[in-house]
Amino acid sequence: MKVTNLYKIAVLGVVLTFASCTDLLDVQPRASIDSVTALTTEDAVNAAVNGIYDRLQSTNLYGRDLVAIPEALADNGRATNKSGRLNPEYQNQVNAHFIHWQTSYFAINQANLVLDALPKVEKMTQANKDFVEAQALFIRGLLYFELMRAYAYEPTVEIKEASKGGVPLLKTGVVDATQIKLEGRASINDVYEFIYSDFTNSIAKFTSSGRTATASFANRTAAQAMFSRVALYRGDYTNAAKYATDALATGSVGRFQTRDTYVSAWRSANHPESIFEIQYQTNENIGVNTSLQTTYTTLVASGNRTTTGGFGDLVPTKALLDAYESEKDADGKIITDVRRSLYELGTAGRGTAEIECTKFLGRSGQVNLDNIPVIRVSEMYLNRAEALARSGNAAGALTDLNVIRTRAGLPAATGLTGAALINEILKQRRLELAFEGHRFFDMKRLGLDIVKAAPVQNLNFTDFRVLAPIPTREIQANANLKQNIGY
Amino acid sequence: MMRKNLLSLLFAVFIGLQAFAQDKTVSGKVTSSDDGTPLPGVSVSVKGTSRGTTTDASGVYKITVSGNSTLIFSFIGFTSQQVPVNNRTIIDLQLASDAQELSEAVVVGYGTQSRRTLTGSQASVKGSEIATMPTNTFDKALQGRAAGVQVLGANGTPGGAAQVRVRGVGTIKGGTDPLYVVDGVQINSNSGSAAFTSSNPLNYLNPNDIESIEVLKDAASAAIYGAAAANGVVLITTKKGKSGATKISFDAFSGIVEPTKYLDVLNTQEFIAVRNEALINQSPTTEPAAAMRTTLGAIRLDPALTADQIAALPTYDWQRESYVSGKTSNYSISLNGGSDKSTFYLSGSYNSSDANVRNVDYKGGNINAKISNKVTSRLTVDNSINLSSFIQRGQFGGPAGGSFLGSPTFSAPLILPHNPIYKDDGTYYGTPADGGIAGVLNQNVLMVSDLNKIESRVNQAIASTVLTYKIMKGLSFRPSASVDYRFIKGFNFQDPRTADAFNVRGRIQNQNTENINFILNAVVNYDKQISSVHNISALAGAEYRRDQSENVQQSAEGIPTPQFTVAGAAANPITTFASWTAFKKAGVFGRVSYDYAGKYLLGLTARYDGSSRFGANNLWGFFPGISAGWDLSQEAFLKNNAYVNQLKLRASYGSLGADQIGNFDSRGLYGGGFNYGGVSGIAPTQLANPNLRWEQNVTTNFALDYGLFNNRVQGSVEYFIRTSKDLILDRPVTWLSGYSTISENVGELQNKGLEFDIRTVNVDKSANNRGFKWTTSFNFTQIDNKVTKLYDTLTTLPGRAVDGWIKIGYPVNSIYTAEYAGVNPATGRAMWYDNNGNIIYRLAGNPDSYSKIIGSQIPRYYGGLTNTFSYKGFDLEVFLNYEFGRTVFNNQSAFMAENGGRLFNTLRSIYENRWTTPGQITTVPRPFNGNAEVLGSGITAGSRFYEDASFIRVKTLTFGYNFSRELLKKVKIDRARLYVQGYNLYTWSKWTGFDSEFVNLGSGNNGTIPQPRTLTFGLQLGL
Repeated sequence: MKVTNLYKIAVLGVVLTFASCTDLLDVQPRASIDSVTALTTEDAVNAAVNGIYDRLQSTNLYGRDLVAIPEALADNGRATNKSGRLNPEYQNQVNAHFIHWQTSYFAINQANLVLDALPKVEKMTQANKDFVEAQALFIRGLLYFELMRAYAYEPTVEIKEASKGGVPLLKTGVVDATQIKLEGRASINDVYEFIYSDFTNSIAKFTSSGRTATASFANRTAAQAMFSRVALYRGDYTNAAKYATDALATGSVGRFQTRDTYVSAWRSANHPESIFEIQYQTNENIGVNTSLQTTYTTLVASGNRTTTGGFGDLVPTKALLDAYESEKDADGKIITDVRRSLYELGTAGRGTAEIECTKFLGRSGQVNLDNIPVIRVSEMYLNRAEALARSGNAAGALTDLNVIRTRAGLPAATGLTGAALINEILKQRRLELAFEGHRFFDMKRLGLDIVKAAPVQNLNFTDFRVLAPIPTREIQANANLKQNIGY
Repeated sequence: MMRKNLLSLLFAVFIGLQAFAQDKTVSGKVTSSDDGTPLPGVSVSVKGTSRGTTTDASGVYKITVSGNSTLIFSFIGFTSQQVPVNNRTIIDLQLASDAQELSEAVVVGYGTQSRRTLTGSQASVKGSEIATMPTNTFDKALQGRAAGVQVLGANGTPGGAAQVRVRGVGTIKGGTDPLYVVDGVQINSNSGSAAFTSSNPLNYLNPNDIESIEVLKDAASAAIYGAAAANGVVLITTKKGKSGATKISFDAFSGIVEPTKYLDVLNTQEFIAVRNEALINQSPTTEPAAAMRTTLGAIRLDPALTADQIAALPTYDWQRESYVSGKTSNYSISLNGGSDKSTFYLSGSYNSSDANVRNVDYKGGNINAKISNKVTSRLTVDNSINLSSFIQRGQFGGPAGGSFLGSPTFSAPLILPHNPIYKDDGTYYGTPADGGIAGVLNQNVLMVSDLNKIESRVNQAIASTVLTYKIMKGLSFRPSASVDYRFIKGFNFQDPRTADAFNVRGRIQNQNTENINFILNAVVNYDKQISSVHNISALAGAEYRRDQSENVQQSAEGIPTPQFTVAGAAANPITTFASWTAFKKAGVFGRVSYDYAGKYLLGLTARYDGSSRFGANNLWGFFPGISAGWDLSQEAFLKNNAYVNQLKLRASYGSLGADQIGNFDSRGLYGGGFNYGGVSGIAPTQLANPNLRWEQNVTTNFALDYGLFNNRVQGSVEYFIRTSKDLILDRPVTWLSGYSTISENVGELQNKGLEFDIRTVNVDKSANNRGFKWTTSFNFTQIDNKVTKLYDTLTTLPGRAVDGWIKIGYPVNSIYTAEYAGVNPATGRAMWYDNNGNIIYRLAGNPDSYSKIIGSQIPRYYGGLTNTFSYKGFDLEVFLNYEFGRTVFNNQSAFMAENGGRLFNTLRSIYENRWTTPGQITTVPRPFNGNAEVLGSGITAGSRFYEDASFIRVKTLTFGYNFSRELLKKVKIDRARLYVQGYNLYTWSKWTGFDSEFVNLGSGNNGTIPQPRTLTFGLQLGL
C-alpha cells in the first residue's frame, strides 16, 4: 500500500515535470517578435522602415535639438532661463551640446537591417523594394550627415591638429552580439563619400520606384536637396548648385511661397515649402517641456498675450532682430521684412515678456504639436546662390539671392560681388532660416567665430567646444573610438 | 552506545506491551493560565508513543493510556507540559502562554517544524506584535522587528509601497523583494502599474488576520523555494478556525495623521532681497535700482515699489495649506469556531487613512473566510478566500512624486512666498486663466490638488483549496490549487481649469491592469520516529506557477465641462496602449530532516526549478541546501540545568536562485510602437542571449541559539556570508550596434553580516496577581556589502548614475562624486576637491579626475529595541528602530538652496548662512543668478546635498489597559483592552528635508509624501 502510493506519486511528479519540459515553460511575448525572423515579409519591412522615421522624431534629432541647439550655440538665440533649458548651450558650457549619437546610430542600424533583409524578402515587387531601399538609404545618408556636422569638422575648415576624423561607418545591421563591430572613426572624406553614395543610390531608387512624392516621407527631391546641402558643407560647389537645381525642378516637392503667404505658411499643419518634414501625430506631442513651441515661445497663439503656454526658453538675440531691421528706404524708414512678422512679444507668464520666434506655434492644431521641416525649398536658392558665388558666377548668385530678398520685401540687390556678395547671401541665409537649426552649422562649416552678447563669452572657431563630445560610454565601450579633443 | 540503543528499543517494546495490558481512560480540561478560558485544539500525546488526541471546542480531551505513562500537552504559543498520569483518570491542566517557547511548531517552507530542531536561519514575528500599527500592511510593521530584515517605507502614502530587504542587496540589476508566501500561496509582490499612486501589493491582507510571519533568511531554509528564494522568503500564516463555541474579536482604532515637519522658508522680503543679490552678483555693473526693478518685474510685482512698500508686502504659507493633518481609522472583526468536524474563521476589516498631504488618502476593506472540513478521518479539505477592494487617492506627479510644477508636495515649500493662495472672494489665486502665479512654479498647487482626481482602485481575490489526505500513519499527501487575482484601475483626471490641461481643455487617463497568478502544488509528507530517538521527517513535492499581467491604457483630451469625468466625453483620443507579459515556473523539491534525540540535527533541502524567464539553453537549475545543528542543552551534562535551557550551534550552506528579471530579458526582440505618420512601425529593441540564467546566491550561515536562566534570556547570534554570483548585468555595448546593452550573467558581489538578537525578561512578578513585568528585546544587524567581480577587466561598471555607482570593493549603489569643499572666503564661489586634493571651481573634463566614492545608499547597521512594561492591567510598549550608514541625495533641499538663483523659495538656514562678505567662512555660496558662476559648476553639484539619512526613531509608543476578567465576566466579555498609540513620534536625524525614510522611485525625494506621525486610540474586544 505504502510503496504503491509513493510510487504513483513519484511517477505523477516526474511526468508532470519532465514530460513536456519545453511546453511547460513556453511563453511567447505578445508585444514583440523574434528579431531573427522579424524582417521576412513585405509588411514587416514596411513597418521596419516606418520604425526608422520614428527615430527622427526624437527630441535629440529633429524633435528639438537639431533645430534649437544650433540657434542657442551660435548668435541667433538667447536663453531666458525661464525653465533653465538650453541655458548651458547658450553659454557654450562644456558638454552642453548635441546628443544625437545614440539615436542616430540606432536608426542607422535599423536602416542597415532593412537594407540587409530586402534581397531576401519574398513576394515583393521590385518597385516596392526600390521604394523601401531608397528611403532607407536617404535616412542613413541624412543621419551620417547629422553626425558629421555635430561631431567632426567640415573638410574645408578642418583644424588638422585638433581633428580626429569623421564618424564610424557602420554598413551592416546587428541582431545578435556576434555581429557587433567596434569601428573607429572613418576619415572625413570617406564618410562624405559614403553619404554621397547613399544619396546617389537613393535618388536612383526613388526614380525606379515610380512613387508619388510627399514631404512627409523621404522622396527623390529630398535626396537631391540634402545632396545640395551636403555638397555645400563639403565645399563641393558644383554639386551643391547642380542638386539645388534638380530639387527646384518642376514637379518637385515643396512650393516656394510668396510674401503674402509667407506667414500663413508657418501656420499650416505642413509647411508648403517643405521638401522633407517630420510628421507628428496628436499622440506624439512632445509636450510642454521640450517641444519646439515651448522652447521658442510662451504664446499659444499669435497675438494672444493673456494665455501662457510654454517656457520661451530661447528667444532671438538683439543682433538677430536688428539684422531684420537693418535696411532703410530712401526716406530713412526701416523697410518691413516679412520675416520679422514671425517674431512677436510673448507673455509675462514665465517672467519678463520677450520677443519670441513663432515659427512653431502648434501648427497641427494643438499646443506643442508641430510638424518639423528638415529641409525646405527656400534653402535651395540660398545653397545655389552661395555655390555660384563661390564658383565665380556672381550674376547667377545674385538672381537666386534676390528671389529671397524680394520675397521678404527687400529691394533686389545689385552689383554685389566677392566677399560682399557672399556676406549678403549668408546674411539672408541667417534671416531666412533663423530658428530652423542652421546658424551654428553654417558658422562652423565656414570656420567663423561666434560673437555673443555680454556676459556670455564669444566662442571662437578654434575652441574645442565647436565640436560635440562623443558620449563617454562610447569611448569606454569601444577602444577604437577617439574622443574629440578637450573632452 | 549500540548496545544501549538496543536495550532501550527492547525496553520500549516491553513498555508498549505493558501499556497495552493496562490501558485506562484519562480525561480532563485544558485551560489557559492567562484567562482561564478553555483551549481547544491542544495536542495531547503519550510520551514515547505515537498515540495522541486534541482537545475539543470546550478544551476537553479523552485519551486511553497506561497508568504509568506521561502525557505531553502542547499548543502553539504555550509552554508545553509533561504530566505523569500516576494512575489518575482526570487530569485538568492550565497551560501558560509563552511567546518565545522553544518547542513550539514554526512554519517552514511547505510545512512546520519544531523550533527546537530548526537548523536554518529564520526570523519570526507574531501577528499580535504588529496588529495595532497604523501601517495598512504588515511589511512596514516589520521594520526593526527582525534581525537581518531591513524595511523602508517608500513614502508616507497610506497603503503605499515598502522596500523589504533580507540580508542586504544581492543583485545589481534584478529585483530585491523577498518572495511572499501567504498560507502557501506565492503572492505576486510586484505592485504592477498601480499607475497613479504608490500601492502596496500586501494591502489585501488584514494585519489582524495574521497569526505569524516567518522570514527565511539562509539557503537551508529557503532552498525549497529554489530559483525564487535568493532575496529571502516571507511566510505569512493567517489565523484559522478553532473548534469550540464561536468567538468574536473586535479591534478598532482611530486617530489623527499629521506632518512631522514644516520647512522653514523665506518670507517675501527676504526672497526679494536674495533674488536681487543673485542678479547683482551675476552682473555687478548693474545699478542697484535697476536690478531691483528687474527683480520685482520678474516676480510680477510693480517694479516701482519703494522700500517701504516692499516691507509691507504679505507672506503666504503654502506649506501649511498643502501638508495637513488627517484622520485614520481601522475596524476589524473576526468570528471563529466550529465543531470537531469543521471549523471556520471569518473576518472583515475596513480602513480609512488620510495622508499628511491634502487630497491623498486610502479607503478599503477585505472579507476573509477560511473553512476546514474533515470529510473522513483521513481527508481534510481547507478552503479559503480573501476578497479585498481598496481605493487610493494619489498625488500629482504619480507615485514617485517628482519635480512637477503642479505637485503640492514638491512645490509648496518652493513657491514664491508673495503669491497669495486665495483671492479675497475665496476663489483660487493665479489660475491659468489669470496667467498663473509668479515664479518658476507658476501653478496654484492647491487648486491643482483640489480639482484633479488621481485614483487607483485595486480589487483582489485570493482563493485556495487544500486537500490533506492521510495515507497511513506518518504519511500524508497534500495537493493544493490557488489563484491570486488582482485588478488595478488607475484614473487620472486633469481638470481643464488647471495648468497642465488648460490648453487642451482637460485630460483623462485610464490604466487597467489585470494580474492572474495561478499555482498548483502537491506535497507528500512523511514523519517517522525510530527507537524514540531517531526522528525523521521527509517531504517531497512539485509546483507549477503561471503569472500573467495585462495592461490597457488610454488617454483623451478636450472635455466639455469639468463635470464630465469619463474619457468617452472627451473630444480627442490621444493614446491607447496595451501590454501583455507572463512567466511560467515549474519545480520539484524535497526536504529531509533528521534529529537524534533532539541533540544532533541535520537538514537536507533541494529544488529543481525551471523558469520561462531564462534563456533557452538554461531553463532549469538545481538549488540544494544543507544544514546541521547540535543542541548542547540536550546533552547529559547540561540537561536539566536550570541556567541553560537551550544552547544550539548550527551551520548551513546552500545555493539559491534569483529570478527577478524581465519576463523576456533573454530574447532577441523587434518591438512595436515605433510608429510614424499614423502607420505602425517596428524596431529592434533587444539583443538575444539564450544563455541567460538565474543569479545564484550561495549562503553560508553560522549561528548560536541560546535560552538561558529559565528562558528569561533568549536569542540568537548569526554570521552569514551571502555570495551572489552570475549577477545579470546589462553589459553596455557600443551604440554603434544599434543597442545599448546586452543582459549577461557576469557580476559577483558579497554580503557579509552579523545578526544579533536578544529577548530578556528583566522583571517578572506577573504570576503574582498581575504584578510588574518588564521585558526587553533588541536586535542588531550589520551588513558589509561589496561588489567583487564585474565583466572583462572592469573595476567600475560604466553607464551608472553617480548615486548608483558599481565599483569592485565598494557597496552596490555607492555614491561617486566630487567632494564639496565649501566656499572660497574671498569670492563666495562654491569649490570642490579634485582627486589630488586641489580646489576646483568647475567639475569638467573626466569625472574620474574629481570624483570619489563618498558613501553608499545601503545602510550598514539597522535594528530595533522594544521595551514592554506591564503592571496590573496596564501595559506600556516603547519601540525604537534605527538605521545607520545610508547616504542619499536630498533633491528637495538642493532645490531649496538656490538662494534666488532661480525663482524658487529657499530654506532659511541656507539664506542665513550664505556668503555675503569677503573673509566670511561658510558652506553656502553667494547667491548667483542661474546658480553657476562664470566658468563654475552649479551650486548643487558634487557631494553637497548627499546627506546622511541615518535615523533613530520612536516608531511606536503604546499605552494600554486590560480590563480585569472578573469585571468583564459580568458583562459576558472575554477580554477588553483600550490603548493609545503614537507612531513615528520622534526622530533623531541630520536630514534637512522632511524625512529621510523614503525609497527613490525615480525622482529622489522630490515631491515624495513624507512619513506621517500618527496618534491613535484603540479598542480590542473579545467576546
